[in-house]
Amino acid sequence: MSENTTPSAAPAANVAEPIGAPPSPLRETWDYFRKNRGAYVGLMVIAFILFLALTAQWIAPFDPIAQDRTAFLKPPVWMEGGDPRYLLGTDAVGRDILSRLIHGAQLSVSIGVFVVILSMISGICLGMVAGYFRGWVEVCIMRLMDIMLALPSLIMALAIVAILGPGLENAMLAIAIVQLPHYVRLTRASVVSELNKEYVIASQIAGAGHMRQMFVNILPNCMAPLIVQGTLGISSAILDAAALGFLGLGAQPPLPEWGTMLSEAREFVGSAWWVITFPGLCILVTVLAFNLMGDGLRDALDPKMKR
Amino acid sequence: MALLEVQNLTVEFGSEDKPFRAVDSVSYSVDRGEVLGIVGESGSGKSVSSLAVMGLIDFPGRVTADALTFDGQDLLGMPAKRRREITGKDIAMIFQDPMSALNPCFTVEAQIMEALKVHEGGTKKQRRERTLELLNQVGIPDPKSRMTAYPHQLSGGMSQRIVIAMAIACKPRLLIADEPTTALDVTIQAQIIDLLLKLQEDSDMGLILITHDLALVSEAANRIQVMYAGQLFESGPADSIFAAPRHPYTQALLEALPERSEGHDRLRTIPGVVPGQYDRPTGCLLAPRCRYANESCITARPEVRDFNGRDVRCFYPLNDQGQPTGLTADMATGENV
Amino acid sequence: MLGFLFRRLGDIIPTFFGVTLLVFFLIRLIPGDPILMLAGERGVDAARYAELQAQYGFDQPIIVQYFDYLMGVFQGDLGKSFVTKKPVLDEFLTLFPATVELSIMGILFAVILGVPFGVLAAINRGKWIDHLTMSVSLTGYSMPIFWWALLLIMFFSTTLGWTPVSGRISVMYFFEPVTGFMLIDSLLSGEKGAFTSALSHMILPTVALGTIPMAVIARMTRSSMLEVLGEEYIRVARAKGLAPIRVIMVHALRNALIPVITVIGLQVGVLLAGAILTETIFSWPGIGKWIIEAMNRRDYPTIQGGILMIAFLVMGVNLIVDLLYGIVNPRIRHKR
Repeated sequence: MSENTTPSAAPAANVAEPIGAPPSPLRETWDYFRKNRGAYVGLMVIAFILFLALTAQWIAPFDPIAQDRTAFLKPPVWMEGGDPRYLLGTDAVGRDILSRLIHGAQLSVSIGVFVVILSMISGICLGMVAGYFRGWVEVCIMRLMDIMLALPSLIMALAIVAILGPGLENAMLAIAIVQLPHYVRLTRASVVSELNKEYVIASQIAGAGHMRQMFVNILPNCMAPLIVQGTLGISSAILDAAALGFLGLGAQPPLPEWGTMLSEAREFVGSAWWVITFPGLCILVTVLAFNLMGDGLRDALDPKMKR
Repeated sequence: MALLEVQNLTVEFGSEDKPFRAVDSVSYSVDRGEVLGIVGESGSGKSVSSLAVMGLIDFPGRVTADALTFDGQDLLGMPAKRRREITGKDIAMIFQDPMSALNPCFTVEAQIMEALKVHEGGTKKQRRERTLELLNQVGIPDPKSRMTAYPHQLSGGMSQRIVIAMAIACKPRLLIADEPTTALDVTIQAQIIDLLLKLQEDSDMGLILITHDLALVSEAANRIQVMYAGQLFESGPADSIFAAPRHPYTQALLEALPERSEGHDRLRTIPGVVPGQYDRPTGCLLAPRCRYANESCITARPEVRDFNGRDVRCFYPLNDQGQPTGLTADMATGENV
Repeated sequence: MLGFLFRRLGDIIPTFFGVTLLVFFLIRLIPGDPILMLAGERGVDAARYAELQAQYGFDQPIIVQYFDYLMGVFQGDLGKSFVTKKPVLDEFLTLFPATVELSIMGILFAVILGVPFGVLAAINRGKWIDHLTMSVSLTGYSMPIFWWALLLIMFFSTTLGWTPVSGRISVMYFFEPVTGFMLIDSLLSGEKGAFTSALSHMILPTVALGTIPMAVIARMTRSSMLEVLGEEYIRVARAKGLAPIRVIMVHALRNALIPVITVIGLQVGVLLAGAILTETIFSWPGIGKWIIEAMNRRDYPTIQGGILMIAFLVMGVNLIVDLLYGIVNPRIRHKR
């Protein structure tokens, strides 16, 4: 009577069936993500845009910079005066808007991905070094980041582009620099909180070198917030690149970047709504999709949300 | 007529077809000046039943009862506004963690005066005087300086006294205390319980003391109610329950008290865990863990019956010697423990 | 409380110097010889070159130049515009009120709409109103602000003809600026219809500028509110028999708004960036438009001075927000 044994076989019929083996972390994350309809839709839209970006050369009906001088400012096909060749109409110099939009997708996706990769890799390295080595290295790096964050991001991007000169590549570099502090801060915070954990100390005792500690042991555990920030960073990059394009400091005409298209369309506010509406709509849908996916990832990866 | 009358209270969560019964057909009553102790492990539904009485169960929880009356008035059918007039004034409740029970943005006096303002009115001066009086009543030293303090500046024991002051501000006729001392240091625990009992005696208040601590309830309560996984297992006068428990669960709880393990090698425990939402046994809820359980316990669910003046939910309630009655030799499967 | 203030200032001062350094060197990095830029197309001979060099201090070592510049900044001398030849600081101060007015209206718009949206969404969690407000909010900050502004103009100005397209007030009105805030000045001027004109010019830029902050504030309010509503003291408030409205508006909101204040402060930076784009589209004569024009014209002192002032502005606002946060959050108020 005094032993702590488990109940005998007879009452076992009372208990419900066993739950089964728990799912792997990746599977669990994917399940949570899928349940979030918004995020799922975002993912589908991104897949579609990616498809457009990769196949632009073959899908777009026209060359994006080819001008048709007989078809200036044609409205979309469903309106009066529309031309069935130019489904979404043409711009002021007779270029097919649909083709420009599709090539614009290629540009925007490249911009987003390039900026985030560049920014994230340098950000992770800097943040890792700051968080791991602490001391005056950390202070220096973080102070520099604070200074960079003292300026609103667009303004700093403008300043950098002012130095380097207008153009798509310079704009991308500028935006990457502007996003850098976010990754540095995030990485450093994650590293600092992981540093005190026992697996790091155990590794140290086992003789792991700095590089191994930083990139093999610690980094994988910090990836979740970084992935979320990266996804949201793509949408920021697309918005900022469009803003720079709009101001004439980013992608230069005749490149079909969506923001640049809007800068050329400004004067037609009263006359040709399609030249303004469609490029902006593309930006909105793309950014929205990445934001939805980023939010979904954040919810799926956040342990607190898991019931 | 009893002050609080609860008959077949049920609180359900989850989907309509497969609901989770946090409280399952529980009945009890509390009289003026009576201390009822509700005892149970975590997940027993003891807190949830009181929240239902207070009207604090939100959607998607569903509260049903044959009767839920306070002073003869039906709480369930009452319009919300009227119920709010009773809540906090005639029935009050204090909760487990005093450190998080007070709004960090407002001072102590503001929070107590708010309760007074809503239910009793009066000028600011009157309310302030009453607040001072209350703080004295609950034993706060130098109340005048404490009045303008913010919650984060108070200790646990002090906070709980403030919470009690807030609860008794409008002279409630029934006070429900949900594990009021669990989050406090041991030395403070005794003080708080003494305070509650004194207040109860002075104003002839009904007091429901919810706790998992049997020792606590043995000294304080007039009647005790034992709950398990949402069901009522045993109910009766405190003295007799301690002297001769009728339900195997109560017996096991008493045996698990460290004082009663004198002379044994190990502390006696109840093996297994309280069933949660997904693993409710089909028969008696205690059967997987009960040392006297047999076939009939697994297949059918016992109802609450009167056994020698005690309400017990068991097929084989214990006699004065602690042995199950109605159990024939061939039915017993021997000890499970 | 004072200790808190000093600690914040202590943090800011190195950042302040860092920003001046950054801006100084940033501008120095721009390719091209500034003296040739100054001289313009007329070209310059060797003597004039040396003269200009000495006048602007370009012949000094770079460190000395930096310190000269720093001294100038402390005395309020940010240099003179290459284009207008007028002191940069003066131009800034003249145009600054226009941007401030627009920013204040933008923030008001954002808070007046954003906070109630967030509260409504939180109280009705999971129901249609929650999904609606959060979808609107998400769309709000996924939009490029300049496109939104153009759409607003297209719809309200061109199609419906309700609002004007550009400027701060109709060109019919002219009066001396008193405060620099058109809404106030137009009222003070007493001229018939001036205020209405100023107001109607204000609406579209405000909406365009304030949409993104509104979206962010709505989201933040919702999540903060949800967190607060789960707290124990809210349950205790309800156990006191308080009306639900009181529980939400007095007990919950007070706590939920504390983190939102920080977010509002952060939005100022976003606002200033947005102001650049908005002012360009609406031809709003503020510092945003001023800086863009300076960039297009390679007017380096203006670019330098403008960026510096904006950075100071953002830092100043962040300091004020931090202080406000310290006052509003009793836990911080009472620390030491």
